[in-house]
Amino acid sequence: MLLLKKLHKWLSLLVGLQLLLWLGTGLYFNLMDHEKASGNQYRQRPAEAQLDINKLVEPKLILSKAKQVVSIKQISLLAQPYYLLTHTKGLYSHFKNEYSLVDAYTAEPAIIDEAMARKLAQSSYKGQGRVISATELSPPYEDIPREQNEVWQVNYADEVNTSVYVDAGSGRIVKHSNDDKRFVDIFFMLHFMDYGTEGSFNNAQIIVFAIFTLFFSLTGFIWTIELAFNGQYKVTFSNNKRKLALFDKEQKSLGEFDVTTKTNLLDGLVEHDIALPSNCGGGGTCGQCRVRLDGKVKVTSADHAHFTDEQLQQGFRLACQHDAMEAEKLALIDTLVTNKAKKYLLELTHSEFVSPFIKELRFKPVGDENIKFKAGAHMRFHIPPAKGISIPSRLPDAFKRYWHDIECLEYEHQACSRNYSLANGNGQIEDGANELVFTVKIQNAPNKTVLPGVGSSYICNLEVGETIEAVGPIESFFAKELSNKPMMFIGAGSGMAPLKSLIEEQLNLLHKGRKVNRDIYFFYGARTEEDLLYKEDFFNLSRKKANFHYYPILSKPPEGWSGAKGYIQDILASNIDNICQLKGIEFYLCGPAQMMSETINLLKTKNVDASNIAFDEFN
Amino acid sequence: MKLLKTSRKFHRWLMLFLGVQFLIWSVSGAYMVIFDIDYIHGDSLVVNHQTKVDANKITYPLALLRQEYPDAQNIAVEVFIDQVVYRFSENDKKVVVNAIDGEKLSPLSANEAIKAAKHYYSGDGDATDVELITENPPIELSSRVLPAWRVNFDGFGNPTIYVSEQTGKLVSKRHEFWRIFDLMFSLHVMDYEEEDPSNQLLFWFTLFSILASLFGAVLSYFVIFKRSNSNTILGGTK
Repeated sequence: MLLLKKLHKWLSLLVGLQLLLWLGTGLYFNLMDHEKASGNQYRQRPAEAQLDINKLVEPKLILSKAKQVVSIKQISLLAQPYYLLTHTKGLYSHFKNEYSLVDAYTAEPAIIDEAMARKLAQSSYKGQGRVISATELSPPYEDIPREQNEVWQVNYADEVNTSVYVDAGSGRIVKHSNDDKRFVDIFFMLHFMDYGTEGSFNNAQIIVFAIFTLFFSLTGFIWTIELAFNGQYKVTFSNNKRKLALFDKEQKSLGEFDVTTKTNLLDGLVEHDIALPSNCGGGGTCGQCRVRLDGKVKVTSADHAHFTDEQLQQGFRLACQHDAMEAEKLALIDTLVTNKAKKYLLELTHSEFVSPFIKELRFKPVGDENIKFKAGAHMRFHIPPAKGISIPSRLPDAFKRYWHDIECLEYEHQACSRNYSLANGNGQIEDGANELVFTVKIQNAPNKTVLPGVGSSYICNLEVGETIEAVGPIESFFAKELSNKPMMFIGAGSGMAPLKSLIEEQLNLLHKGRKVNRDIYFFYGARTEEDLLYKEDFFNLSRKKANFHYYPILSKPPEGWSGAKGYIQDILASNIDNICQLKGIEFYLCGPAQMMSETINLLKTKNVDASNIAFDEFN
Repeated sequence: MKLLKTSRKFHRWLMLFLGVQFLIWSVSGAYMVIFDIDYIHGDSLVVNHQTKVDANKITYPLALLRQEYPDAQNIAVEVFIDQVVYRFSENDKKVVVNAIDGEKLSPLSANEAIKAAKHYYSGDGDATDVELITENPPIELSSRVLPAWRVNFDGFGNPTIYVSEQTGKLVSKRHEFWRIFDLMFSLHVMDYEEEDPSNQLLFWFTLFSILASLFGAVLSYFVIFKRSNSNTILGGTK
């Protein structure tokens, strides 16, 4: 089915224009004046000879003197009887024929000369025009493409430029043509793709196009049947609403939403500010708007194309392929919504490079609202369609050298949404934060064929004072209930944001005099010392707070670096047992996928219970 | 995105109603262009005989003929199978007489019609049945050539040779491919109702089809040229 849809798509490109030509010219044929299109506006029947049979010369006499014939026949030209001798007979009169003419009363041979051709033409013409020329021509002819015999073309000076064609052998009136007919002929040429003007619709190009078009229609037809079969044609006259129970990734209820039964789930969720990713806008081709419904919900071909059988059984579906009638509950795969989530307009107040590729961005909600959130939460930003550039405009001198090897690309991108974690930890203090802090890494393209991260580039190139829409806060990663258990934070790169938020929150709670005293360990990996985000802040914190332990780890340390050297997961593997008792520790992870999966595996081998490991995936 | 969605919706809905006709148009169109029109006309079913008139065999002169048939018009001397004959019209009838002795050969009997049909037919199958049609001809035969003998042959595509009862001439040749072509043409121009010369049905179908195709074109544009984010590189320098 996917192949069929692809075929339909690409065939549309191949035959689309010709299809429109066929339809357009077809419509013209339907509407045109058939009388005019015949070219016979001024045609009339020539007068017949009043035959005196007694004056006719014996055919035998003529045949004895003439070249052999297939047929000798008495005809009438200019109201005079002639014998038409057919020496070679074509199957049709427009096929090759060989004729001669003899006067039927005198047996004098006759030929169609210019004077005769003019008279013959005139005998079939009832218009007011004058003959302006008479020319003997050989095939092929534009006006009469199928004709294979020599003809006289007699042109008239009338308002439609009539041409009368007279067979040069027999004197027969072959055809009348005029501007009206020539105009129609252009449409026939287009409809028949008869660009060689063979006067036929059996040319190679139309056969090729016809076959492609046949496949085009067939694929479209099957597609339509499939859509109908899947109940995608539904007419609902009332805007029925129904409740849809919404769940997050962990099957935690997010409450009930009103959705209209008419729209598909993708569009229905948008009405509640839940914008699932989608490039195709509901065509079922991009496969991004994934949700989890009941496993019994019918499977469309688009679902088949994007999920494994196992996933389908588990209820994974594309939201755009199903409507609210089909599901009673829906779980979001991509966690993004809590009851708190709301749409905000954020104004950029501060934008600064904190490492060669990472910027700290600070936003204020327009309208000076405070936003309450649990540390570790993220916001979903709506990136509008825009032009982008792969190298930020205002690079600090100190970091310029890191960007030397990056290709400077200008590009255009469509709207998309991106999640960024909050980096401040005061979201639960009093009324919440009125400033939102993010650390965003500008994602560079790994090679020329891929664009750089359009979301990160866009947001990092925002100017102070500019605004952007965001939905949130979305709390999918947060600290467990307050306890005395030690906490270990493990992260790298821009995984800093949620960890910093969580650490600040924990330390602030202690600061507020709660009777909690827990050890906090923070392992943070980076390449160089310059990549070490908020280095001074964390060193200061570790000096001030006896229970906070900071372990920066560099893979490319400078000379004289006294800390650990290598990859964070390797350092952890060899040292974790010496640092503390692992039992009862809560782990919080955020960083590149490989670091996370290796660390999780390491913790599992150390018999750490999975319930004590929380991680925030980001990409 | 709005235009894309609207286009998809209209394309789908319109095609729900027009889809069958699109399929009919493309099947019938493909049939008509793939089969050579001369073959469809049955040109290969017949032999274009070029037997010449032997003047010495004309022993029945025009002088005698005009005594017998004073109203003869459009007189021709031709070959019918293997005999030299006069063909002419008399009032509104057509007559064939032998040029040797003036024996009247028309109207043709069934056996003569079969003999003539076999002469014209290029295949080697046998005539399976013969029938004289004097009125209400089948679609494949023009009423102008009536009365005519319909001679069916046992051959590929069920060929039929029509021989004029009055002249003995070949007046039509048809086989299944022509009959299918005729059906295809009717389907192609949606000629379902004989009484509707302006063919309103075709008009409305074509009009809506153009609309549906334009929506399809918008879809193609979005899906092919503005595909996947439609994040396009505008230019680059290092």
